[in-house]
Amino acid sequence: MTTHYLVLSALLFAIGAVGVLVRRNAIVVFMCVELMLNACNLAFVTFARQHGNLDGQIIAFFVMVVAAAEVVVGLAIIVTIFRTRRSASVDDANLLKY
Amino acid sequence: MNGIQPPTIEYGQLMPLLLVFGAAIVGVLIEAFAPRYLRKAIHVPLTMLTLLGAFGLVIVQVLRDGVPTAAVAMGAIAVDGPSLFIWGVILVLSVVSVLLINDDDNFVASAAAVPGSPDEEEAIARGGAHTEVYPLALFAIGGMMLFAASNDLLIMFVGLEVMSLPLYLLCGLARRRRLLSQESSVKYFLLGAFSSAFFLYGMAMIYGYAGTVDLGGINDALGRVGGQDTLLYLGTALLGVGLFFKIGAAPFQAWKPDVYQGAPTPITALMASGTLVAAFGAVLRVFWVALGNLDWDWRPVMWGIAILTMIVGAILAITQTDIKRMLAYSSIAHAGFLLTGVIATGEATQNANSLSALLFYLLAYGITTVGAFAVVTMVRDAGGEAGHLSRWAGLGKRSPALAGIFAFFLLAFAGIPLTSGFFGKYAVFAAAVAGGALPLVVVGVVSSAIAAFFYVRVIVLMFFSEPAADGPTIAVPSAGTAAVVALAAAATVVLGVYPQPVFDLADAAASSLFVR
Amino acid sequence: MELYVPILVLAVLAAGFAVFSVAIAPITGPRRWNRAKLDAYECGIEPTPQPVGGGRFPLKYMITAMLFIVFDIEIIFLYPWAVAFDQLGVFGLVEMVLFIVTVLVAYAYVWRRKGLDWD
Repeated sequence: MTTHYLVLSALLFAIGAVGVLVRRNAIVVFMCVELMLNACNLAFVTFARQHGNLDGQIIAFFVMVVAAAEVVVGLAIIVTIFRTRRSASVDDANLLKY
Repeated sequence: MNGIQPPTIEYGQLMPLLLVFGAAIVGVLIEAFAPRYLRKAIHVPLTMLTLLGAFGLVIVQVLRDGVPTAAVAMGAIAVDGPSLFIWGVILVLSVVSVLLINDDDNFVASAAAVPGSPDEEEAIARGGAHTEVYPLALFAIGGMMLFAASNDLLIMFVGLEVMSLPLYLLCGLARRRRLLSQESSVKYFLLGAFSSAFFLYGMAMIYGYAGTVDLGGINDALGRVGGQDTLLYLGTALLGVGLFFKIGAAPFQAWKPDVYQGAPTPITALMASGTLVAAFGAVLRVFWVALGNLDWDWRPVMWGIAILTMIVGAILAITQTDIKRMLAYSSIAHAGFLLTGVIATGEATQNANSLSALLFYLLAYGITTVGAFAVVTMVRDAGGEAGHLSRWAGLGKRSPALAGIFAFFLLAFAGIPLTSGFFGKYAVFAAAVAGGALPLVVVGVVSSAIAAFFYVRVIVLMFFSEPAADGPTIAVPSAGTAAVVALAAAATVVLGVYPQPVFDLADAAASSLFVR
Repeated sequence: MELYVPILVLAVLAAGFAVFSVAIAPITGPRRWNRAKLDAYECGIEPTPQPVGGGRFPLKYMITAMLFIVFDIEIIFLYPWAVAFDQLGVFGLVEMVLFIVTVLVAYAYVWRRKGLDWD
């Protein structure tokens, strides 16, 4: 029964997506993006099981590595802006508009 | 254990890609071991020679072997006609962008120093700027090449990230207006990561549907798999969100003006030209190769997106008061024009025509864009570039040559005859009419007319307004910047007056379409 | 095309309902505030305020953590290779050495730029 895992992955993805849209703190927004990536991983591994081939598992490895690289780049950027403004709220980043 | 065979990898055909990535890694080593004062002196020739060498390798490959007919590296990367053309275009655009990057005074002296702090003053007093820019740019360029040539959704995702991650960082490295720059970097990063999560979930759905992420394999599965349509449609939609974000199509365009305005202008030039070219390569591959037989289902949505993109780009551009934001909206409108070509599919000859028109358009638009941003770097105020449009008033009286060239670039964006933009737009719209997308072309022509209004408004502002007493100064361009402006102007003229050789080249590249 | 009609209808209905209920509530509903109403609904104990200036990790820790994550995760690629290294033979070995060298380049950069120093 792989359906349960797919439902779980969809739920995680939705929680992550909603989190990105409603949370203010850039770090939390970013953690929600990571949650979405991990939901993708769960889906990949489930489908790999369902199809009986290993592609999905290998893809999950690549996604983890890409996610790690993204964490490093993202945290670097967020830390820089935090040091400048003493705030990691995305609402405070409002200089660029119209 | 059933045997696992070592894969075969055609190193020869992948040479341009490997050269760019190899040089990027060498660049990191230079950063690690070369003394500070020598770094730039080593980076500049290394980067330029690498990009020119990779361009040379592409040409050698075409002349010696012609266009390959099979995907390489076990079907992961497709070095076919369109790929080679797009690689050539990306490399040319990168060379001119790197000439802009070479110009001092664009990048921050120390990204870690808080703006306005003693640390920053100290870093500025010490002189120089971050030279990490060069390896980062090389990684981004390599990622663009990989993104456009991937024959497999996994490689496409890796290419997307290798292209995007360095760009997120580069956006935050402007020397002046650092708050804006850092803010653009955060926005680009959060939205980019969000959109790539969508791309990835779409990829998971497609994998669940087809059991493979190979583009050709997905195409085969369309005829074979039944009863899993939900996965397929969901996957197509989510993949589309990720890709349309990268080309900046409405309603996923929100990042573009902010990022273009905040990023250092040479990086904006690289993004506006190279990323757009690479992303269109990927869009074409996904929607033509993998989902080509599903065109009846994605076409209506794509129509909507193309219309919305053209209209949003053209109308919002009118209200802009910052030159870089205006160019960003113009880039959104151009993404809409390009989408009309993506929609115009049909039988093989129709596809080849559309593809060749798109390739020509990408080259023509990219080179003009880099030229326009090069001009933007030269018009300076006390605090850096004079971004606000009111500061550009009367520029034609102070510096007729520069204003004339900029006006010429704007006319090329508008698609006035005798500029490259005219033939690009004409070719894409002609292909779209032949492909049965006449209403789209009507919208395209109308929004071109709207767009022409604000291009002309800037020209009027430059030539028929009195210059402000404390107007911006025109920086004496470095040799690199001057070369970029001259090259872009020359290319815009040549492609506008005598485009046939390039059209022939694009036709040849497009004739065999994508390998599967 | 017909495929999209239900979706469109649903979107219109949903948007209409959302706008209607948000717009009508302040007009028709009574307003009687009290302390219980302003509380978080069924969310366990009352949250305590975060200490000001405390409760944060220092930036140094952040950098170390970032470096750890990236080098730690790279190792993941060794696992699939380790499962089949005998069958992949020399090719696999050479590719894996190249991969590790690439990771080492990044390590060398971090080391030379004093990313590994705590102070």
